[in-house]
Amino acid sequence: MATDTGLARDLAALVGPGHVRTDAGALTAYGRDATPLFHALPQAVVLPGSTEEVAAVLRYATEHRVPVVPRGAGSNLCAATVPLTGGIVLVLTRLNKILEVSSEELLARVQTGVSTAALADAAAARGLLYAPDPGSRTVSTVGGNVATCAGGLRGLKYGVTRNYVLGLEAVLPTGEIIRTGGRLWKDVAGYDLTRLLTGSEGTLAVITEAIVALLPAPEESGTGVAYFDSLADASRAVADVISAGIVPATLEFLDRKCIAAVEEFAGLGLRQDAGALLLFGDDGAPPTVAANLARIQEVCADAGALETTLAEDVARADALLAARRCSLPALSRLGSLTILEDATVPRHRQAEMVDRIDEIAARHDLLIATFGHAGDGNLHPTCVLDPEDTEGADRAHRAFAEIFAAAIAMDGTITGEHGVGAAKLPYLADKIGADQMALLRRVKTAFDPAGILNPGKLGS
Amino acid sequence: MNDRTNGEHAVPPEQPDPGHGAAGPRGPGCGSGTRGAGADAASGHDPVPPAAVAPRSPGPDGSPGIFDKNLLDRCISCGFCLPACPTYALTGEETSSPRGRITLMRALETGQLPPDDPTLAEESSFCLGCRACETVCPAGVEYGSLLEQWRDHQWSGRDRPWIARLLMLLVSRPALLRLQGLVRRHARGGPGGRAGRPAAEPAAEPAAAPDQPVSLMLGCVERGLYPKVSRAVRELCPEVAVPSGQGCCGALHAHNGDSVTGAAMARALGEKLPGTVLTTAGGCAAHLAHHLGRDRVRELSEYLGEAGYAPAGQVTVDGRRARATLQDSCHLRNGLGVSRPPRELIAAVADYVELPGADRCCGAAGTYAMLRPEDSRAVLDPKLDDIGRLDVDYVVTVNPGCLRQVQQGLRRRRSRARAIHLAEFLALAGRPGRPSDGLPGPGEG
Repeated sequence: MATDTGLARDLAALVGPGHVRTDAGALTAYGRDATPLFHALPQAVVLPGSTEEVAAVLRYATEHRVPVVPRGAGSNLCAATVPLTGGIVLVLTRLNKILEVSSEELLARVQTGVSTAALADAAAARGLLYAPDPGSRTVSTVGGNVATCAGGLRGLKYGVTRNYVLGLEAVLPTGEIIRTGGRLWKDVAGYDLTRLLTGSEGTLAVITEAIVALLPAPEESGTGVAYFDSLADASRAVADVISAGIVPATLEFLDRKCIAAVEEFAGLGLRQDAGALLLFGDDGAPPTVAANLARIQEVCADAGALETTLAEDVARADALLAARRCSLPALSRLGSLTILEDATVPRHRQAEMVDRIDEIAARHDLLIATFGHAGDGNLHPTCVLDPEDTEGADRAHRAFAEIFAAAIAMDGTITGEHGVGAAKLPYLADKIGADQMALLRRVKTAFDPAGILNPGKLGS
Repeated sequence: MNDRTNGEHAVPPEQPDPGHGAAGPRGPGCGSGTRGAGADAASGHDPVPPAAVAPRSPGPDGSPGIFDKNLLDRCISCGFCLPACPTYALTGEETSSPRGRITLMRALETGQLPPDDPTLAEESSFCLGCRACETVCPAGVEYGSLLEQWRDHQWSGRDRPWIARLLMLLVSRPALLRLQGLVRRHARGGPGGRAGRPAAEPAAEPAAAPDQPVSLMLGCVERGLYPKVSRAVRELCPEVAVPSGQGCCGALHAHNGDSVTGAAMARALGEKLPGTVLTTAGGCAAHLAHHLGRDRVRELSEYLGEAGYAPAGQVTVDGRRARATLQDSCHLRNGLGVSRPPRELIAAVADYVELPGADRCCGAAGTYAMLRPEDSRAVLDPKLDDIGRLDVDYVVTVNPGCLRQVQQGLRRRRSRARAIHLAEFLALAGRPGRPSDGLPGPGEG
């Protein structure tokens, strides 16, 4: 491997000296993402300004066997962008142009350093909807969303990021620039590398451009809140809503601890005496939205809701959704070591899973709050600890291992939307089995023969 | 004498603005320094009560105690702050984001980075201290307090920028302030310009604190730079007292690496100004509220709003109602959560137009515009573009630093819009018979 000064000089020749940083401060700042307990120092931080520069850096890295960790805004929660074995952190935030928004083709073409919110705003300005709606949308990049296959608040009705990726421009670790998929909904030529790269967490190629599908913006949307005595009650209401044949755009729940934390940040006037709340929302044609929201209110009332109310206007609805998006950071007010997880189970077993999480938390003497995308069965059990409490952190890890095992036993999975990264790699084999793990490694080798791309993550 | 030439042109452009930077009104346990009372003695100002905040001490783990640990622990690195940060918008680099800076602070605290690390020095200075990150932080990180603690450490002794040192010395010395007062005696209004003369009978009891007197804080910088502001307040609020011998509130110190002195000066000023302290500077308001308590401090727009201010007339330009917009003071908005009152007051006397990004820093940021003029301009430029598109007559500000920054920017652009402090703007409406017509031409006002 090149020496650090040699590395800096070589990289500067590829992307310009102003876009390479090797000072200790920058290496420290880029040594972590939003995942607690994972840090490692890179040797250099590089901010390329074009796909060609990305290719040059990757070619160089393969030639010199330098690890490369691609990174967007670093908001992921699975340590996907922590440079575990040093090397280069390749920051893609300078690739931040929205290249095209087409009302005719219902698609957008963007560089992958664009923030999700910027893409959604550009679509909205044309009367279009970019459906994926991760909680981190204001900060996270489209590239990061694609790489981790981010989900979000509209997952129940609209699915996750992969359902909207039509085509990608990506750079292989060996420096070739490939274009997968394209501008078509129907395109079945060859292996679906677009889908393979979506969720590949920067281990197969560096995604530099994405073509994403847009939808006509729904005419109307509405949001409401239902309060319950317990999360288990709320979960049963969710099952009843779905059974009633309604697929709302949003169906999110927060437990008591989350309500308190969100309320302290957002001051929305949420009921503090409830054990859980269900945030529901729908969009579409006005009569349908009104009818669905009314029906959800009825079903919740029948399921024992303490109270249900509809947001009186768009501003109120937006405030409720925004508050839900910030549940995780708001929870950290309870204790600043906040370990959020992402277990998912089939919808009909959600109430069972909630009970199971509570039981595991109690047995390990941990504070685990839970919120999540109720309609998807996607739960975010979140353990809140004192940062000094290393013994507590050990207990938390044991508890989460049990939670993942429980999810898998219920035909669920270890991550519904955050990705595997380094944080959950130890559990991946339990989910997919040894044969598939071996296949993953062979796929990895086909893309990245030198093994330089995001080592310690998928395919490692 | 032409009102407009009074104070706006005659003052050297390098006057400071202590009323804009980083202060922390929220929560206990923040804002102290690593140095003791020696710093106070060296600063040479009036004896001040001891700082009410205990100096931080080394932690049990051997950490140097630069930061209040609870504050540092609050950040979970979610990154929600990134889009709100003006310096991150300039560079796109993690190091110049609030999250990245907190990572740097942690590295300083744990010794992972040495105190003389150049990136630490650069980033502690590059940050505007606008605290926009606090408003979007669901975890409740008190970034402004962390920045003060960081600068206490980073800028102690000789490492503090000389301009900041000079300004801190200037505003700390009553003699120099008095000198400034002599030069600008007419600023205080009234016969002989004697400060401290109680105002005439109060016209109305302020709704905020009916049993409390209300004392106008003149503001050490504003008094020198924009004397018309406090004169306008006296016209608008004749019930307000203007005690003499006012010192600086210490915001300048707190934002420039000496929060111990900054806290002491705030308390000393609090003792000199009885009752509710009324300020015309968002930065001073936030700093004072942090040290005197939120209840004792009112910024002008808040005060007028609570007192049910009713305009005497309207502000007109060429016989029509003026079009006006507001540039928020970061500290007023982000530190004290005050954003509606100034807008409502403007709307009461003129056609109010919202400036996109009014909540984003203008780049003045206290001493920042002097210490880092290029970065300051880079932050201001997009705002000037936005102002140009609005086609307004007035850009109203609520802090002297913002006023100066926007004023200079508009002058550079030869804009027809005029930057004006809220107090002066309202006074234009409140002085019937003095038409506000006849806007200054390019290069003027």
